[in-house]
Amino acid sequence: MPWYFHAALKQIFPSGKLLSFFAFISVTGVTLGVMVLLVVQSVMNGFVFDIQSNLAKTNGDIQIVSRAPIVGWEDWLENLEARPEVKAAAPLAHGVVMLQARNRPMFPYVWGLDLESGPEVLPFEDFLQSGTMDDLDDRSIFVSGGVARELTLGVGTEVAVYTPLMLDRMKVDEVIRPITMRVAGIFETGWNEVDSRTVVVTLRTMQELYGLGESVHGVVMKLEDGVDTAEYAGVLNAGLSEEYHAQTWMDVNSDFLFVLRLEKTMMFFIMIFIVLVASFSIAISLMMAVIRKTREIGLLSAMGASRFGIGACFCLQGFLIGTVGTILGIIGALVALHFRNNIFHLFAHLTGRGQALTDAYGFSYLPAHYIISDFIIVALFSIFVSTLAGLIPAWRAARLQPAEALRNDA
Amino acid sequence: MTLDSQSVLRAKDVRKTFVIPGGELEVLRGLNFSIREGVSASIRGESGSGKSTLLHLFAGLEGVDQGEISWGPDSINHWSPRKRAAERAVRLGLVFQAYHLVGEMTALENVLLAARIAGTVSAETRERARHLLDRVGLGNREKQMPGKMSGGERQRVAVARAILNNPPILLADEPTGNLDEKTGETTMELLLELVREQGVALVLVTHSRRFAGACDEQWVLHDGILEASAEA
Ligand SMILES: Nc1ncnc2c1ncn2[C@@H]1O[C@H](COP(=O)(O)OP(=O)(O)OP(=O)(O)O)[C@@H](O)[C@H]1O
Ligand SMILES: [Mg+2]
Repeated sequence: MPWYFHAALKQIFPSGKLLSFFAFISVTGVTLGVMVLLVVQSVMNGFVFDIQSNLAKTNGDIQIVSRAPIVGWEDWLENLEARPEVKAAAPLAHGVVMLQARNRPMFPYVWGLDLESGPEVLPFEDFLQSGTMDDLDDRSIFVSGGVARELTLGVGTEVAVYTPLMLDRMKVDEVIRPITMRVAGIFETGWNEVDSRTVVVTLRTMQELYGLGESVHGVVMKLEDGVDTAEYAGVLNAGLSEEYHAQTWMDVNSDFLFVLRLEKTMMFFIMIFIVLVASFSIAISLMMAVIRKTREIGLLSAMGASRFGIGACFCLQGFLIGTVGTILGIIGALVALHFRNNIFHLFAHLTGRGQALTDAYGFSYLPAHYIISDFIIVALFSIFVSTLAGLIPAWRAARLQPAEALRNDA
Repeated sequence: MTLDSQSVLRAKDVRKTFVIPGGELEVLRGLNFSIREGVSASIRGESGSGKSTLLHLFAGLEGVDQGEISWGPDSINHWSPRKRAAERAVRLGLVFQAYHLVGEMTALENVLLAARIAGTVSAETRERARHLLDRVGLGNREKQMPGKMSGGERQRVAVARAILNNPPILLADEPTGNLDEKTGETTMELLLELVREQGVALVLVTHSRRFAGACDEQWVLHDGILEASAEA
């Protein structure tokens, strides 16, 4: 072991002591920085992961859409389901309707659910808060929580449905009569975009409302586990003619996903400053050590230490502080993440704001998702920055003239 | 000359001038010096006469303006700083007034540091370090930290460290300057005993006539040159 490595180790871990005081302060800074970075990143990942799985759940993995309505979709389903990559496929029909209850109007999205194949692609039953799948028939409707609240609907109440088709009839001065439907169930997907304004009817009802006849707007499918969604969409597109297009749930929600990723990156850049500030504390304490130990450094030269060795000794100290701080930070982050919900509930309890948090952010627990590359990036970054912080003091120490350093009486 | 061929350290016509605010300060003006293997020499002189500067030049920690410094047969004038450092590690021991022990290392580790820097740590040097600590009366203090030692004890650790690598030359700059009279005396006795025992040539800078008188040769630095001490 070269002497400067041994000397650097001793400066950080002096004989008979766990950690030198100055190293303790610097290590704590790095530990906190790494810990906060990892906790925030992992919780952000948790949200993103939750949202993505919700998106995949409510959108299906891949949708094939067409410019014109698709006739003969039953053949499509058969063809798709025969493929090993596809777990299930269902027809897709959607649009907008107007609902009216007690003279209040609302314009939710409407989805047609094929009772036979639909539930295999979209686990709709999981979303139902009241009512059951069996209650849905051609004269009833499922409404999302948001719609139910807005129009004060409950299971069993009735609601008037108007469709765009009726406009055509209005043009020829026909009196239009809404279709009255019974609310058969209320659902929540946990995905606000959907929950605020969506209703679901049977596929047959949807075809009737939109005058589709036997046709549908597209086909939605769920893939087997392990199949790469984007790649398979490419495979499908290669085999499809011009007028059809296969798109993944990521394509459908690309704007939103972009914002999510941006948010995570921004958080990373903000949190990075904690590590940078910590690295300044390393630089400062090492700089102080260089000044405090000027004569010791002079003595090292007198004993035959090279400039390189003296510089390396201080640079290594930055590296060691960074490494110890990073390891402790990772351990701290894992512990904090493990107890995150206890901490969250304790916080909610102490502030008495548990309900407010749930209402404002729409969650009552903290998700977390560990991405190994985040850990590696954070660890490498903080060790790199810490080593860099040792560089300036190291350079100063190496530049000291031995004779002058020995004369120094600071 | 046969004397010269045996000298372990030699200075020939050395000049050193410092630039100071408002002019130049000629500290050494054509100084000559030479010391043979295993001999001890003392250098006295008024404060500011250039004794520390001379030792720094001897050690190659600073460069001469003119003249030549040789260690044994080798002139060190044109060695690179790296080469000087590497040679210094094995050929020179240094002891200073302020002991300059590394505060984070035990007494034994401080002694061993000399071998670490020279790149010669081994079970043998470790044994020698223990032996030297024992020799300076600190055999049972191996694991003690310098912060918890007295001045005399620290200086004895520094002496053990300076001779660990068995250098042919030991340069000591007022090694007893910070010690009380009695401690200074025992430390100096120990130092002289050790250099005789190990056959090291000693250049001792001191203010004390008594300690100077205990050396084989006595010099006074005056007006930038070394003169044989009148009391010798
Ligand atoms: N780097 C420098 N720049 C300018 N002047 C210097 C420098 N180093 C030493 N001097 C001057 O050179 C002179 C000799 O200094 P030196 O330390 O060698 O004296 P000394 O004989 O060791 O004194 P003392 O007995 O007090 O230790 C002093 O006047 C000092 O101010
Ligand atoms: Mg001096």
